[in-house]
Amino acid sequence: MKRFSLVLLLLLGIIGTAYSFLVSDAAGFQAPGLARIFLWHWPCTIAYSVMLFFGAYLCIQSLRTRQAHWDLRTTAALELGAVFGIMVLATGILFSEVEWGAFWSWDPRQTSFLMVMLIYMAYFVLRLAIPDPQVRAASSAVYFLLSVIPQLFLIFVFPRLPQIAQQSLHPSQTIVMGLLSNDYKTAACLTLTLLLWLTGLLYRQRVRASMLNLSLEDLP
Amino acid sequence: MANASSNSDSSLKEILAVFRKEALGEARSQTGLMTAGLFGLVAVVSIAFAAYGMKLAGTLSAGLLWVALMFSASLTLPRAMLQEEETGTADLLRQWSRPHPVYWGKTLFNAALMTFEGVLLAILFVVFTEQTPASWPLLLCATVSGCISLAGAVTLCGVLVARAANRSALAAAIAAPLLLPLASLGVGAMRSAFGDGAIVQGWQLTGAMAGYATTLLAIGPYLYAAVWKT
Repeated sequence: MKRFSLVLLLLLGIIGTAYSFLVSDAAGFQAPGLARIFLWHWPCTIAYSVMLFFGAYLCIQSLRTRQAHWDLRTTAALELGAVFGIMVLATGILFSEVEWGAFWSWDPRQTSFLMVMLIYMAYFVLRLAIPDPQVRAASSAVYFLLSVIPQLFLIFVFPRLPQIAQQSLHPSQTIVMGLLSNDYKTAACLTLTLLLWLTGLLYRQRVRASMLNLSLEDLP
Repeated sequence: MANASSNSDSSLKEILAVFRKEALGEARSQTGLMTAGLFGLVAVVSIAFAAYGMKLAGTLSAGLLWVALMFSASLTLPRAMLQEEETGTADLLRQWSRPHPVYWGKTLFNAALMTFEGVLLAILFVVFTEQTPASWPLLLCATVSGCISLAGAVTLCGVLVARAANRSALAAAIAAPLLLPLASLGVGAMRSAFGDGAIVQGWQLTGAMAGYATTLLAIGPYLYAAVWKT
């Protein structure tokens, strides 16, 4: 069963990647062919948001139960979230260079996501600085829960403020206004499914590895 | 009914006791006020000196004033929590007090300290850089709501790093990213106050900052209680 799901994931990966190269060019871009980066950029933003909410849930569980395994799960989820966040930034930077003419355009959307990543990275800095595992688990969970408010503000509210949205080059309204072609919709859904599946798989493996590590530390 | 009333009375007494303890400690050492005051003054004088003979634009003035306020808060406010660990009184406090009154006492003291310093800094900034604010009430309200939000966020960061290595630097490092959204609201509000935007928009942003402060103060005691006896 496990092998079957891995084969299916691999197959979906190949089909998704191939299909994302085959969709027709999007209209209204400087380099229409390279606008395909959206097909990987957008699923990463969704995966990041999923990890943000899932991480917050795990933090609450960690604080409620005070059991080490919830802290391990939290770290695993937030590490994956960080990977997706970096991928969102990286694909955004490439898109910015191709479409807007500079790797970093100080676009409000780009800058607000950089701020989100700084908040996110501070979580790991805090964890590194606290030696006691129990204090580390509680303090980092509280920090993450505290950081959820500014993160939600920066991701969902700030870029949509009228005075900010006017200045932004980011094509945020494409999906909302239904401007995506059917080709793009299908390919985006395919890559999103693939990415979320891969996330689940990586999360489970990371938790399993951390649990093994914890049980090794507990050995006399 | 009588029980609930006596409970809230005792909480209020505890909050006032913690506030008084902080105020007495500050009156004796004056470290917080002096550090924040000196930092803020040096920042304002440096800005005025760097901009000698120039008229600063409203947006730039708002940004510079907010940077001074933010770093001044990050340097000073975590002390309320860090000092307890450094002097070894944290365990005693945990033994005898409940988390919510301790949080409120310390946060209220920090908010009072930061508001006093923030208002003073804003006035000095206006005087030294020869600004003429388009709206004094907006400037003062934006400063006050910004300072209360800063106090709410930085006090909590102080709690989180209290038992970490290199805690003073870490408190500022983890507080700064959390304060960035607040800074963007604050700069927007002050920009309008300095005449670089619509006054109505400035009031809206000040309202948003007040909302941010209220949210922080509402969840703060629960988050503080979660790390209280770990």
